[in-house]
Amino acid sequence: MRHLGKYLTGAAFMIAGAWAATGLAQPAAAPFTARQAEAGRVAYAANCAACHQANLAGSGEQPALAGPQFMAAWGRRSTKEFYDDIRAEMPYGKAGSLDAATYQNITAFVMSANGAKPGNTAFDGNQAVRISAIATGQVPSAIANARRGGGDEGGGGAGRAPAMRLGRTLVGDIKNYTPVTDAMLVHPDPKDWLIYRGNYQAWSHSGLSQINANNVGQLQLKWSWAMNEGGENATGPTIHDGIMFLANTSNTVEAFDAKTGELLWQNRLGPLASRAYSALRSLAVYEDKVYINATDAKLYALDARTGKVVWESDIAPPGKGFNETGGLIVAHGKAIVGLTLCRGQMPHCYISAYDANTGKQVWKFTTIAAPGTPGGDTWANVPDDMRAGGETWIAGTYDPELNITYWGTAQSKPWMQASRRSGTASTLYANSTLALDADTGQLKWYFSHAPGETFDLDEVFERVLIDHGPQKTLMTIGKAGILWKLDRVTGKFLDAKQTVFQNVYNGIDMKTGRLSFRPDVLVQKTNTWISSCPSAAGGHDWPPTSYDQKNDLMIIPLDQSCNMMLGHDVAQHTGVVQPEGEEKVFFMPGTEGNMGRLAAYRTATMEPVWSFQQRSPFLTGVLSTDGNVSFVGDYDRVFRAVETTTGKTLWTVRLPTVVQGNPVAFAVDGKQYVAITTGLGGGSPFSKPSSMLGEVHHPDHGQAVYVFALPDKMN
Amino acid sequence: MHAIRTVLAVFLLGGFSGVASAAEVYASRLTSVAYDGAMRANVQGDGHVSAALNGSSLTVTGDFTALPSAASSVKLYSGPGIGVPGDAILDLQLSGQNQGSISGTVKLSSKQLTALRQGHVYVQLNSQKAPDGNLWGWLLPEHAFPGADVPEKGHGLLPQLDVPGNWTEKR
Repeated sequence: MRHLGKYLTGAAFMIAGAWAATGLAQPAAAPFTARQAEAGRVAYAANCAACHQANLAGSGEQPALAGPQFMAAWGRRSTKEFYDDIRAEMPYGKAGSLDAATYQNITAFVMSANGAKPGNTAFDGNQAVRISAIATGQVPSAIANARRGGGDEGGGGAGRAPAMRLGRTLVGDIKNYTPVTDAMLVHPDPKDWLIYRGNYQAWSHSGLSQINANNVGQLQLKWSWAMNEGGENATGPTIHDGIMFLANTSNTVEAFDAKTGELLWQNRLGPLASRAYSALRSLAVYEDKVYINATDAKLYALDARTGKVVWESDIAPPGKGFNETGGLIVAHGKAIVGLTLCRGQMPHCYISAYDANTGKQVWKFTTIAAPGTPGGDTWANVPDDMRAGGETWIAGTYDPELNITYWGTAQSKPWMQASRRSGTASTLYANSTLALDADTGQLKWYFSHAPGETFDLDEVFERVLIDHGPQKTLMTIGKAGILWKLDRVTGKFLDAKQTVFQNVYNGIDMKTGRLSFRPDVLVQKTNTWISSCPSAAGGHDWPPTSYDQKNDLMIIPLDQSCNMMLGHDVAQHTGVVQPEGEEKVFFMPGTEGNMGRLAAYRTATMEPVWSFQQRSPFLTGVLSTDGNVSFVGDYDRVFRAVETTTGKTLWTVRLPTVVQGNPVAFAVDGKQYVAITTGLGGGSPFSKPSSMLGEVHHPDHGQAVYVFALPDKMN
Repeated sequence: MHAIRTVLAVFLLGGFSGVASAAEVYASRLTSVAYDGAMRANVQGDGHVSAALNGSSLTVTGDFTALPSAASSVKLYSGPGIGVPGDAILDLQLSGQNQGSISGTVKLSSKQLTALRQGHVYVQLNSQKAPDGNLWGWLLPEHAFPGADVPEKGHGLLPQLDVPGNWTEKR
């Protein structure tokens, strides 16, 4: 916040002078005053800069609010439309929370930041003046040169964590801690939850059955813990030997007595969280350490007994905005992590592995194929420094027998083919499954799920490893809602199933798995709206599936919405943070306005077994258990248990805010518990219902962890 | 309900080819057109339409409510896919302002019939503050919605009418 003040103070008042200096013809005076623009500067810093940056350049999915990109998006629209837009949608996660005058002032500031000249008439929200008639997109130098702000690098914004003391705020002294061995990770004890998705295969299944379909209705709250305010929260606890390790927001790591909720140690590593890109989805435990890849792309190993930092290592060059959200796995003595927010800069994104004892980098696999390397010819001559995407924002899985780690990658960037100028080229290794040797990072095989993908439809999510007799398969589902089955030894395509309505692809070659686009997608142009079902919220998004082996059922949280997408003309040079485009949302045809769907598929046959729909989307992963009960939470604050084999709802509880994260099960002293978090933020799966479900309300705070169990005395 | 299932069975088994002997029934909930924050306040509302096809004659009935501004026109549109906007093809009639009803009988060309049976035809209601679209809904085979949270066997999806091989079905 101090930085914003330093660089932006008086910026609005400097604009008239800047116009005089340029000698350009001045557009008409704008319908706002200099005083409004100055007040808007302050309000922008407090409410907007964390995502859109102090220089209004935008970042990632947060669009630019100044310069050519802004003018391309908004030049033909009016000041009133801009005002209506931010009033309806902003601040992110707190839409409509500011008063009308503040939105008017922010509108004035944004216009002034695009070269509009203040006038004598105050903007009251009703003046509909074409933005290109008053603004040029020329950003005053005081604003353009403002320090890249927000996110983890300073600046304020909605959802930013309140100030707090960083460091080891409670020193632990856990006695009788049992180191986690490789054997424990390969064959986890059902009482523990040692790995992000429960086991290396990402089944998100518990072998516990004390809580079952007959008694789940008696679940009651045992303890809870209020998590940090600010930032996104989509995490899940890790449990070992009755100790819960939690990746709280603002890169805070905590250890609790999992039975009582007593805090055992706490280390606030920082940096403090903003709402954008700050959801840590997991941590990892191995031997006597807890591992966390912090949002500033730094990998830490903490002493599991005390919380003390044992070592730390940079995953990516510090201070460049690289980011981590997906959590990590530890396999064969190495902590393996992905990387995100590699847009507009080098190096490209990569997956990397670190010696679990020392933090020394062991290997790195770059997920963007460079010219002259294998796959480098799949970018239609796009220069290397313009090849972007392939982010890895969900931790991978691991087959100990094959010693292969499996990772999904996100789409190439910019989102749309027309913007990135790559046509239908497959842009390796975006939207692919990668099979990497866990010891060397060597690529064993890859499978490109969506060559030429163009609607921000990631295929980055969990890779679930399932054996059908002797056949070792890998199953995954991405935003397009297509459930894929591959041979995980060879990468050969085996099968695919559509799980939600989609209109992006009009066919698939069932021998190769190659998708064919709807014809009008192939002739897309920039600055033209084009339809995509599902929207960028999926289909299926980050809330992971669960696999119940005994019933051979994969239970999948699905999201039903569509969008119109418009791709920008993106500047073709490095160093430019490039908001890729715009979108308009609408309800998916044939769904009666229901955004949420939970569905179960038999994985051997890909046969759909059951599904149900509801108005609100599911924002947690699914946890299935040996008690024939599966747990899942949603945007409307409902945490529920369903019968795994039928989908019938058996139990619900309404929590204080959005139920978001990853449910887990564990046992202490012979008693089974189920834990879940509430959380805010989380990208498209959270923002789409925020925009579309006006009747669904939730507080914009209340992140916490909740632990449920059966009563000590059963009815 | 029985009639609905019968109609669905005709569609599913017949693959939507040829002219059915009985009326084919289509329906849609009308929901907001694609919008961003700037449009949001003007594209609210709710509605429902059903359409019966006899030969090439399509009779549409429906209702709408809670529009932010008075309805101005209602038309059938056809695009290149389900959920893909296209051009207006035929006019329908409306009565009422912020709430009201939709009606009309139109003759479809063979091309329009094909589009309807592929799910590419939709109803769009325009209003004074949203002249380029307030509510829309794609005409798909009328189907029973079992209710929120009520599981149904199978995938529970409408058939993907325009995808060769009926990708959603068990092969």
